Amino acid sequence: MIWNTIDFVCRETALHLRRERLIAITTISTVAVLMLVLGSMLLFLVDVRGWADRMGDALEVRAHFYRDHSREEAEARAAEVGEWPQVREARFIPKEEGWQELRSWLVSGDKLEDLDNPLGDCIQVYVTDPEFLREIARKLESLEGVKAVVPSSGDAGKKGSFAHKVVQFRRIITGSGIVIGVLVVLAGVFIVHNTIRLALHSRWREIYIMQLIGAGRGVIAAPFLLEGVVHGGLGALLACCVLIPAHMYLRTLSERSAPFLLLAPDSALLTFGSAVVLAGAFLGLTGSALSVRRYLRRKPEWHS
Amino acid sequence: MPAIVELRNASVTYPNGVLALSDATLTLEQGEFAFLVGPTGHGKSTILKLLYCDEHATRGQVVVSGWDVARLSPGRVARLRRRVGVVFQDFRLLPRTAWENVAFALHATGHGYRDVLRRVPEALAEVGLLDKADDFPSQLSAGEQQSLAMARVLAIRPALILADEPTGNLDPDSSSHIMGLLTKANKAGATVLAATHDPAIVDAKRTRVIALRQGKIFRDLPEGGYPDDLEHD
Repeated sequence: MIWNTIDFVCRETALHLRRERLIAITTISTVAVLMLVLGSMLLFLVDVRGWADRMGDALEVRAHFYRDHSREEAEARAAEVGEWPQVREARFIPKEEGWQELRSWLVSGDKLEDLDNPLGDCIQVYVTDPEFLREIARKLESLEGVKAVVPSSGDAGKKGSFAHKVVQFRRIITGSGIVIGVLVVLAGVFIVHNTIRLALHSRWREIYIMQLIGAGRGVIAAPFLLEGVVHGGLGALLACCVLIPAHMYLRTLSERSAPFLLLAPDSALLTFGSAVVLAGAFLGLTGSALSVRRYLRRKPEWHS
Repeated sequence: MPAIVELRNASVTYPNGVLALSDATLTLEQGEFAFLVGPTGHGKSTILKLLYCDEHATRGQVVVSGWDVARLSPGRVARLRRRVGVVFQDFRLLPRTAWENVAFALHATGHGYRDVLRRVPEALAEVGLLDKADDFPSQLSAGEQQSLAMARVLAIRPALILADEPTGNLDPDSSSHIMGLLTKANKAGATVLAATHDPAIVDAKRTRVIALRQGKIFRDLPEGGYPDDLEHD
C-alpha cells in the first residue's frame, strides 16, 4: 500500500511537471529572481564576513615570560596552551628569535645589535574566534612566570581597540545577515505562495474532484508539494548559474586590481550554492503547502 | 437486506437561511435501485451531497455504510468516498486522458499498478470507450464524457452509486446508455440512488421512487413511475 502510494505520488508529480508548463515557468522564474536577490545579498555578506574573519585570524596574543624563567617550563606551557579549545595555534618563540624579529621590524634595528637581549621567551597565540581574545589573554596572564600579555585582557576587549572593532564588525555582519535572510525568506514565501496560489487556482476544480473521488488529502497534496520543491530548487539552481560564475569573475578581477578584498573561494561557493538551492526548494515547498492547504479546505466557486 | 443508507430526520439549512432539506427520513437497502425525483432546487442534490459528505445535516442523522457521517474526520470521509461512486450532471472529469481519469480513481482508492492496468481497460470497454482511452474529456461528446464518468465509478466497484442528474445534459440515446450502465451495476450488487427530474427515465424503469417537494420527502413509492402530481421543469 505504502509503495503504491509513493509510486503514485511520483508518477503524479511527473505528470504535473510535464503538463503544467506555464505554472512551471511562472514559479521557476519567480523563485529564480528571488534567489538572485537573496543570493547576491548572501554572497556579499559571505565575502564581508570572510574578510572580517581573515582580519580576526591575524589577531594574536603574546605571553612574554620573565627573562630568567625556565625555557623547558615555557615550552611546556606553550604546548599546554595549544590544547585549549579556543586556541587555533600556539607557537613557542625563544627569546633569541623574538629579539631578531623585533630588530627586523624596527627601522634602526641594526643599531641595537650591540645591546643585550632584553626579551624573555614568549608564546604567540592565535584564537579560533576573535571573541575569545580577551578570555585567552586573561588565561595567559594567570600562567606562572608570565611577565606581560600583549594585548592585555584589559586592552583586548577595550572599546576602540582593533580586536573590539573586528568583533563588533563581525557581529553586525552576522546579525544583519540573519535579519536580511529572514526578511527575504519571509518575503519569498509570501511571493512564491501567491504565485503558486494563482497557478493552482486553475487546478482548484481538479483538487476538489480528487477529493470527491476519495483521494486522501496527503495523496492530493504530495504531488503539488513535490512539484513545489522541484520548481523552487530549479529556480534557485538557475539563480546559482548566474551568481556563481559572476562571483568567480569578480574574484578574478579583484585578485588583479584589489587583492586585499580576498573574495570567497570556490569551496565556499559550493556551500553557498547548496544553501541557495535548499532555500529555493524550501520556498517552493512552503509556498505549495500554503496554497494546497487553502484549496483543500474550500470548494471551488462553481460549486453549488 | 441491511440498510446502506439511512437518513433520520435530516435537515439542511444553508448559512443564508435557505432550508434545502427538511426532516427527511429515508432508508435504502443494499442492492436497491431508487430514484430521487422532484423539481430543480427541491432537495434532490442536497440528499446526495449529504451521502457523499459534501454537505452536513444541520439537524438529524445521516448514516452511510454504518458510518455516522457527521462524526467523520477528513481521512474517514476520504475512506467513505472510496466506497461511494458519484456521477454528476456536469461529469466532473479531470483534465486528463480517459485512461488517466479512470486510473486516478483507482490509485486514489489504493489500488496497485497491476490492478490499475487490469481494471482500466475493463471499465473503459464496459462503457464503450476503450478506443478513446487516450482522448481528453474535451475531445469527447457529452454522452461519452458521462460514460467516462461511469467508467471511473464502475472501475472502483463501489457498494453505493449516487447519480446526480446523470442524464441531464444528454440526448435520449446517451441517456438510455447511461441508465443501462447504472442498471447493470445495480444487478452486479451496487445500490443505486439516482436524482432526476426526467419523467421518461423514471417511467421506463419500474423501481422505487422517492419524491421531493420544497425540501420534504412527500412520497416514497416502492415501484412507481414519476408522480403525476409532481411539477417538473
